[in-house]
Amino acid sequence: MKHSTMRLSTETMNLDFVKKVEALSGSSVRRCFQCGKCSAGCPMRSFMEHPPNRIVRFLQLGQYERVLAGRSIWYCASCETCTTRCPNKVDLAAIMDALRKCSWDAKGPSKESYVQLANRLFIDNIRTYGRQYEMRLAAVFNVKSGQFLKDLMLGPKLITRGKLKVFHQKNRNMAEIEQIFKRIEEMRKKGEAP
Amino acid sequence: MTPAKKLLSYSYYPGCSLHASAKEYDESTRGLFKALGIGLKEVPDWLCCGATPAHNVDELLSLSLCAKNLSLAEGVEGDLAVACAACFSRLKVTQHHLADNETKRKQVEYAIAGAVNLQKPVKHLLEILAKDFGLDRLTEAVQKPLSGLKVACYYGCLLTRPPEVPELDCVEAPTIMERVIGAVGAETVRWSHRMECCGANFTLSRPGVVLKLSGSILDSAKAAGADCLMVACPLCHGNLDIRQKEIEEATGERFGMPVFYMTQLLALAVGVAPGKLGFDSMIVNPLPLLKEKGLV
Repeated sequence: MKHSTMRLSTETMNLDFVKKVEALSGSSVRRCFQCGKCSAGCPMRSFMEHPPNRIVRFLQLGQYERVLAGRSIWYCASCETCTTRCPNKVDLAAIMDALRKCSWDAKGPSKESYVQLANRLFIDNIRTYGRQYEMRLAAVFNVKSGQFLKDLMLGPKLITRGKLKVFHQKNRNMAEIEQIFKRIEEMRKKGEAP
Repeated sequence: MTPAKKLLSYSYYPGCSLHASAKEYDESTRGLFKALGIGLKEVPDWLCCGATPAHNVDELLSLSLCAKNLSLAEGVEGDLAVACAACFSRLKVTQHHLADNETKRKQVEYAIAGAVNLQKPVKHLLEILAKDFGLDRLTEAVQKPLSGLKVACYYGCLLTRPPEVPELDCVEAPTIMERVIGAVGAETVRWSHRMECCGANFTLSRPGVVLKLSGSILDSAKAAGADCLMVACPLCHGNLDIRQKEIEEATGERFGMPVFYMTQLLALAVGVAPGKLGFDSMIVNPLPLLKEKGLV
């Protein structure tokens, strides 16, 4: 069997990025010893190009661009099974959140656009209506993703059963909700929050 | 006769789905609590908890939205009752994170322009029924035992995970759902997919994920001989009920498996009129099963 030599140094490992992910997630990346338990229990494993334990390995080796550009982080369902089962207390679900934030803030180097679009519309709905407006969420997603006929047959079924409301719910505290978004933006502009 | 117990009363955070796609969860929760004499008062002007999409890309926003809800809940007396597993998880995670992270707490306090309320106990309905109300009293309240109904209790991801946060039950092998529905006479099946993910919010972005994951769950419940599934999360319900026909078309397997919210079955057992439990809102019609078992 042929062995290849891998040389690691603090320079190639991009420790700055690892430290950023560790700060955002509140979890160590470096504690992972690659037992693979996270990937064994991951329900989304078959949809990912890289299993969860390999994502951590890429980070440890400084290859974070591969992680951010790939689809895998967007195919994490946040089920928390990995975090629950990690024998060395690596909070992988939180690391995934941190990686998505890094990718999102960099204006999405990932090719996985549908999940990001859905997230964006979901958050926009909160800012506009205070609560989810499911009808709008589905309709705008279909238009923006160019899938005009997606779930078209479900719509009438849900409307006749009263499950899909045509009008949105109304909050009286919309100004306060807008303030939350504004104040977070303000903190970020001043560099006071990640 | 048990001696008179103190009256229970809760503030209530329904969450977005319970006012829309999961309205039968809301109706049956109110019906059940009324029948059991438990007070339930909705928090005025609550807002979306941010669910998975917010914490996926913006933790500070997620924590701030939940902290705002916790602060609104302070205006209503009683521990905070939450029905949706995802809202429950987000609110608990927020309290947990902000309790031991002063930097984040300060950022959130600035965002919501107020103090963060970490004191109010946030409780899932299961916890209220099993611990505060009590399983014995639940059994005493039964008017129509669900005997003969074989139920597959489906926990999904967020009722028990991550460890040390919801503290609802054992994180890997919980039994609280089985104990609660068992208290009203139902039979529960042993099965493999109680805590496997249903595909969650990929129902909007990548429904193929849901067809595969929810398909395995239905398959496992059927193999275990269940008549129906019982859930405590609107998203799980949507995936297993609303998409069930699509799953059948994709797999060629026929399930015809009604998916109940836990409160629908419990309310039925304690004598709430079936007409008030939103059975007609479900996509997989549960009435043939309930008629066969003599429950409606």
